[in-house]
Amino acid sequence: MAQSIVKVIINAIIRLLPIAIVLGIWQSVASLHWVDTAFLPAPVGIGRALGDLLSGHEIRDNLGVTLFRALAGLALAAVSGVWFGVGMARSWIFNAIASPLVGATYSLPKTAIVPLLILWFGIGSTMGILAVYLTCLLPIIVQTYHGVRATPAVVIWSAQSMGASARQILWQIFMPHALPDIFTGLRIALGFAFVVAISAEMIASTAGIGRLIFMYGENGSYDYMFAAVASIVIAAFLADRALLALSARCLRWHPSHAGTNLGATA
Amino acid sequence: MPTKISIRGVSKTYNSDAGEVLALQGTDLEIQEGEFVSLVGPSGCGKSTLLYIVGGFLSASGEVQIDGRTVDGPGVDRGVVFQEYALFPWLTVQRNIEYGPRVRNLPARECGAIADRLIDVIGLRGFEHRYPRELSGGMKQRVAIARMLAGDPSILLLDEPFGALDAQTRETMQDELLRIWLEMRRTVLMVTHDVNEAVYLSNRICVMSARPGRIVEEFTVNLDRTGTREAIVLSDEYTRVRNQVWLSVRQQAATAVRT
Amino acid sequence: MSAERAALPSPLKSYALSTLTVGVILIAWESAARAKLVPDLFLPSVSAVLVALRGGIADGSLPLDLGVSLYRAFAGLLLAAVVGVAAGIAMARSALTRWFLDPFISLAFPAPKIAFLPIFILWFGIDHMSKILLVAFSSVFPIVIATYSAAIAVNHLLIWSSLSLGSSRPTIMWRVILPACYPRIFAAFRVALPVALITAFTAEMVAGGGGMGATLMYAQRFFETPTVFAYIVTMLAVGLIFDKAMLVLRDRFPAWRESS
Repeated sequence: MAQSIVKVIINAIIRLLPIAIVLGIWQSVASLHWVDTAFLPAPVGIGRALGDLLSGHEIRDNLGVTLFRALAGLALAAVSGVWFGVGMARSWIFNAIASPLVGATYSLPKTAIVPLLILWFGIGSTMGILAVYLTCLLPIIVQTYHGVRATPAVVIWSAQSMGASARQILWQIFMPHALPDIFTGLRIALGFAFVVAISAEMIASTAGIGRLIFMYGENGSYDYMFAAVASIVIAAFLADRALLALSARCLRWHPSHAGTNLGATA
Repeated sequence: MPTKISIRGVSKTYNSDAGEVLALQGTDLEIQEGEFVSLVGPSGCGKSTLLYIVGGFLSASGEVQIDGRTVDGPGVDRGVVFQEYALFPWLTVQRNIEYGPRVRNLPARECGAIADRLIDVIGLRGFEHRYPRELSGGMKQRVAIARMLAGDPSILLLDEPFGALDAQTRETMQDELLRIWLEMRRTVLMVTHDVNEAVYLSNRICVMSARPGRIVEEFTVNLDRTGTREAIVLSDEYTRVRNQVWLSVRQQAATAVRT
Repeated sequence: MSAERAALPSPLKSYALSTLTVGVILIAWESAARAKLVPDLFLPSVSAVLVALRGGIADGSLPLDLGVSLYRAFAGLLLAAVVGVAAGIAMARSALTRWFLDPFISLAFPAPKIAFLPIFILWFGIDHMSKILLVAFSSVFPIVIATYSAAIAVNHLLIWSSLSLGSSRPTIMWRVILPACYPRIFAAFRVALPVALITAFTAEMVAGGGGMGATLMYAQRFFETPTVFAYIVTMLAVGLIFDKAMLVLRDRFPAWRESS
């Protein structure tokens, strides 16, 4: 037990070493004043600023706002996206009606709707959540649709021959089968959620980490600006990892996970 | 004895990329209760299609009746095992087998008991809580058979159940199936491309013509299946019937190539 | 009732219904706007949008803005392509490179690259350079990852055959490995292109400096809703056209198609 923990730690150190090396070089360059620290603050300075921000309210309030908008929009998109995806997969009529709308948003640069949403809803959380929602809807719909349609006929027929009703087939067959694809869609949508939430804040908002980054930039507090950027990068990374961990848990049964194959005995 | 499965004048047309395809034309077949019937024939002759029609998965023109009632869709009276990929990958072995009873709202304890018994029948004790991805092909098919039997269907529909397995596993599985059938004596309709398998297991073999398929020849198999595999396969009766069937299938395959 | 899969009707029927839906929506939109059910500010009529569109094209502002944005997007994409493919192949060939770049890629991939815009502006100003580099930064990761995974998957037999035929290592690189990677790299491009466009537009919306995004924000600030709609429609059309173009390219060059 102790051996594997040691192994994990050593592995982690090896994987993170390049970052440490780059930070080291960066710090040296800054300390030797080879680069103007106005343009490229030293890691130590950024670290200090980050500490300041974390101990104060700025990160908590602003990062919290951004996360709230991103995750709320994502959650709403997840629920309605799956509903749409299933509907489109099961009914050709629903599919024919919804397709042009879905297809249109496919090619539309997602942040392009932000100015329109600002016109309609002003700046603030409503606009932010709505922008995230509309953006995240697409990958989830597409992936759900694909997952449901790809359900093998023999699986459906097996369930039917055992007496499953249409409702049972929807929840017990189509949904589980689509789950891996839905998680893929969620992962893509998570990335979109952060980008759109921050874009919307940078374009026009009074709160949020995007706003904060810009504000520090305008004030010339570059230490704090870099620190704020670092905070959202870390937050996004952790959110992604959390989603991966969740999907690994829910998809234990999926063949893609390195699985044991119990030998050739029939 | 009552006619268990009655197939009369069944035809089936598919829409494919190449246009309309006539898969079956005017097929007739009567199966009595307790029979083990195999459908053999050249590739593409429509034997699986016919099986799916009996199962209620595909519509067709003509008349298909089970116990005198017209087939209206899938039903719990007809269990099915497909060649592969039909297990529910998100359920454990136990849950897969329990699916039929659970779906019909049997009490949990009873579902568990049924699954328990069948797990022993198929010899997978110790694997109940594994997922299908952890099983070999042979093991998966055992689960598929158990799952089908858990629903207690009066008819077993088997679509090339051992086609995806290697030769040795196939033999083992055939012996398993034979053992189970000798014990339960359900009506079985099996599709197979393996003539040896058909002769080994069934008491009646129907040979289908090339597409558009219909049944052109029938063979009765009178084998004493209480002995060992060696005894059965090396018997004269086995060899005689096997040669006849094989020849018949080859003749049908030849007509396919010619057209 | 048989269990036949939700029987798909002829594609024609589906297409007709889709077209009908779009038509109905457009008509409803136009009627609502004309009947002033919704203030002009929120929903201009379709005709007003078309007028704004035609006006923008006529006085050259729309083509100019579009040109600027596309220049930034494609310059950034090109840069990302060169760097991304090189890095991907380097990672496939050298375990050291892979070890070194891996944590950065893992960290940066889920990060919202737009958050780095103020940094790029600090370093490069608000004109083209900062935006091109941000586009490159945003688009490079799918390309690196796709190139890397394609390169390590290249069939060893292909490489060994070439070696035994006496090919030099650079030849193998250019003639065997790289072509084998085309399908996945192309697929990554199909993903990276819309990313490049979005990033360019968004950077312009945030920081100005000309281009579609800047004018779009300008129009929004001055409540010129028809122009807002016109620009959004243009962005949509541009996205559609380029995606279709990529599909046409893929059909014309079989080497880029994924063999299943």
